[in-house]
Amino acid sequence: MKKIFRLSQFVIVGIVTIMFSITPGFAGPKRGGDYIIPVVQFPPHFNAAIKSGSELATPASRIFVALVQINENWEPEPYLAKSWEISPDGLTYTFHLLEGTTFHDGKPVTSKDVAFSLETTKKNHPFGPYMFGAVDRVETPDKYTAVIKLKQPHPALMIALSMPLMPILPEHVYGEAQGPIRKNPANIMAIGSGAFKVAEYNAGKSYILERFDNFLRPGQPYFDRFIGKKIGSPSSALIAVSRGEIHHLVVGDPRMLAKLKKEKNLFVISRSTSGVGSVNYIEFNLRKEYIKDKRVRQAIAYALDLDFVIQKLHQGMTHRSTGPIHSSSPFYSDQVNQYEYNLEKANQLLDEAGYKRGADGMRFSLDLTYMPVPVIEHEHKMIAEYMKPQLKKIGINIILKAPADFMNWYSTLAKWEHDMSTSNIFMWGDPVIGVHRLFMSTNIKHRVWTNTAGYANKEVDKLLNAAAVERDIEKRKALYAEFQKIIAEDLPLYFTIEDVFHYGFNKELMNIGWEIWGPGYESMYWKNGQAP
Amino acid sequence: MSNTTNVTSMEVEYRPDRPLVEIWRMFFANKAAVFGLVLWTLIIFTAFLGPVIYSTDPFDLVGAPMEPPGEEFLLGTDYLGRDILAGIIHGASVTLAIGFSATIFTVIIGVTIGVLAGYYGGWVDTVLMRVTEFFQVLPALLFAMVLVSLFTASLYLIVLAIAVVTWTGIARLTRAEFMKIKEREFVLAERAMGARNTRIIWKVILPNALPPLIVTMALGVGVAILFEAALSFLGLGDPNAYSWGYMIGSSREYIWDSWWAVTFPGFAIFLTVLGISLIGDGLNDALNPKLREL
Repeated sequence: MKKIFRLSQFVIVGIVTIMFSITPGFAGPKRGGDYIIPVVQFPPHFNAAIKSGSELATPASRIFVALVQINENWEPEPYLAKSWEISPDGLTYTFHLLEGTTFHDGKPVTSKDVAFSLETTKKNHPFGPYMFGAVDRVETPDKYTAVIKLKQPHPALMIALSMPLMPILPEHVYGEAQGPIRKNPANIMAIGSGAFKVAEYNAGKSYILERFDNFLRPGQPYFDRFIGKKIGSPSSALIAVSRGEIHHLVVGDPRMLAKLKKEKNLFVISRSTSGVGSVNYIEFNLRKEYIKDKRVRQAIAYALDLDFVIQKLHQGMTHRSTGPIHSSSPFYSDQVNQYEYNLEKANQLLDEAGYKRGADGMRFSLDLTYMPVPVIEHEHKMIAEYMKPQLKKIGINIILKAPADFMNWYSTLAKWEHDMSTSNIFMWGDPVIGVHRLFMSTNIKHRVWTNTAGYANKEVDKLLNAAAVERDIEKRKALYAEFQKIIAEDLPLYFTIEDVFHYGFNKELMNIGWEIWGPGYESMYWKNGQAP
Repeated sequence: MSNTTNVTSMEVEYRPDRPLVEIWRMFFANKAAVFGLVLWTLIIFTAFLGPVIYSTDPFDLVGAPMEPPGEEFLLGTDYLGRDILAGIIHGASVTLAIGFSATIFTVIIGVTIGVLAGYYGGWVDTVLMRVTEFFQVLPALLFAMVLVSLFTASLYLIVLAIAVVTWTGIARLTRAEFMKIKEREFVLAERAMGARNTRIIWKVILPNALPPLIVTMALGVGVAILFEAALSFLGLGDPNAYSWGYMIGSSREYIWDSWWAVTFPGFAIFLTVLGISLIGDGLNDALNPKLREL
């Protein structure tokens, strides 16, 4: 008996020894291999200082660095800036840059480039006024010190200084001497100081980024190349990932997730990318007949059974959203009217508003369009299709307008031609950046993801302006709580659901880092130093 | 007796005593054609009476999503919980309406151009045929897709798009028939008697050119239905019209999870187009005097 025990001990020690010797983590990360990501919407260029959007954010965050990086606990961490000080009045931020960092063309990164990048982003980025409107000037006392002077406190500044919101651009490439920035050829063949540099760009098909050997984090990145490949329908993407033609796939659709989990060469990470904080909503065009009546909007909200949508149509994989601020944000509040499903109340509201049912049982007709993006069809097309029979129950005849493509949808909303549409918005880290733009009466513009609803409420403007400069987090929370209450009552937009994204990664990928924006590819590597 | 009757009697010499009866006899002798006719009788019956008998609105969410065919729902439900059987029944009228109205449009455009080109000839013919060729070399489906994507999809636009891309065949055929018939003696006689062009075209030539046109029109209905299905499959259909094509197009992403949502409307389209093709073939045999003699 003792002998067997000893023998088994020996065997266990043996197995453990063998396991350790073959575990690659033991030998440290391996270099080499390509990493291929699926691209749903192809980025028109890589210059994140002049354009927002998640399709641009992933490659741009590889090509460019930012001053700081935001970790999962919403804390800034050093990136290009090795350290910083904030003055007690919160109006002066002094950043000390890493020395010896270069751009892809070999020129050094200096504080002048930081100042230039901030000015460029402030002027050209769609969120520019929200991110850097509070910045008075950037001083550059020496090559490696940048001092940001604010006109008023700006609690969202650190987030605005992270990728993908403010890339550090080389002034000698993007400066005014090179002509207007929107026409600069370096928007496509971008020069940054990030982990990868642009090698190839085939419009609409693929882009290839190559490792930058002088990246400011020694050793990183581990992949030789970072490649983006345009994918078609979700089902073809699933085939591509199972064949290893792409190395991960992001899905939000329950049926796709079930299939993703069945793939043997993948493992699935499910987490909401809190920084992105995507919330879905139904947009009302407040200029239109019927819709401009608050009671009509409330009736529509009461007539939609979101529990049914979440439980039955999305198989419990999305969450209820109660307002414009994503529930992962510290400023989220659920103390608002949540519009529990109630057809009686919906009908009553419409009766009160004086819209009587006609002979066919209908009160009036409204157009409804939806955002045409294949991978999130269940959150847009499906919701629109659900709304048609559902609103018939309260006597609203819905005429679905199927957009031919994304641009078609975009221009309908940008021209304010829609009655209603489904849409979603990314919070981009802080409500100041992602949420204010939808509600400020100063931001009613012919551009999607501005205040295209045409909502103007002085009270809301005042609350948001106050929240933008409030440094005390509790007071700021209270301001946003009040704001969320008003929005839920007024319903310029009706917030419906939040989604969770599921990443299916190839099993041979190691050390998947995570930022608030999603996976951090700089620390990842292949188990065997090459793609399987 | 007027002169015209003489001309007509000249023609009748070549025909059996009771042409219509003869055509019916020929048609019913063709088993495949009769099968097609039975199919179409059923489909038309469904389109007109189906919605009265089975009144569930196809857009309504009546059950759990993706319910397989069974007792509660004979043909199952789709990804939203809409009844597939209701869709098939209510979709019949939409699909047929598209098929017929697109064909009518096609005939209006095609016959007008074919008549003008074939009857007048000369530069009118040259100009019209170059225009026709321009439309013929464009890939039909692609052209229809462009037309529909340019504007927001609606039933009218789809009907118009189908007509715009499919009229060339009818135009060519009409032109050929007119060129052939306008040289025949009875037409020359008619002209010698001083008949006006409009009379010769509508009263004399067109009735004689009709048999091949009828066959093409019948087949055209099938083509139009397939076109609508193809456009809807590509997501370019009208989401407010519950056609069979729309059913397939909207459920195609879920084909692995609910095969029934795609298969049954697909089968319905298959039967409809098969039916009209068989009828068209039968008519072709029955109306073609050369075949009749064999």
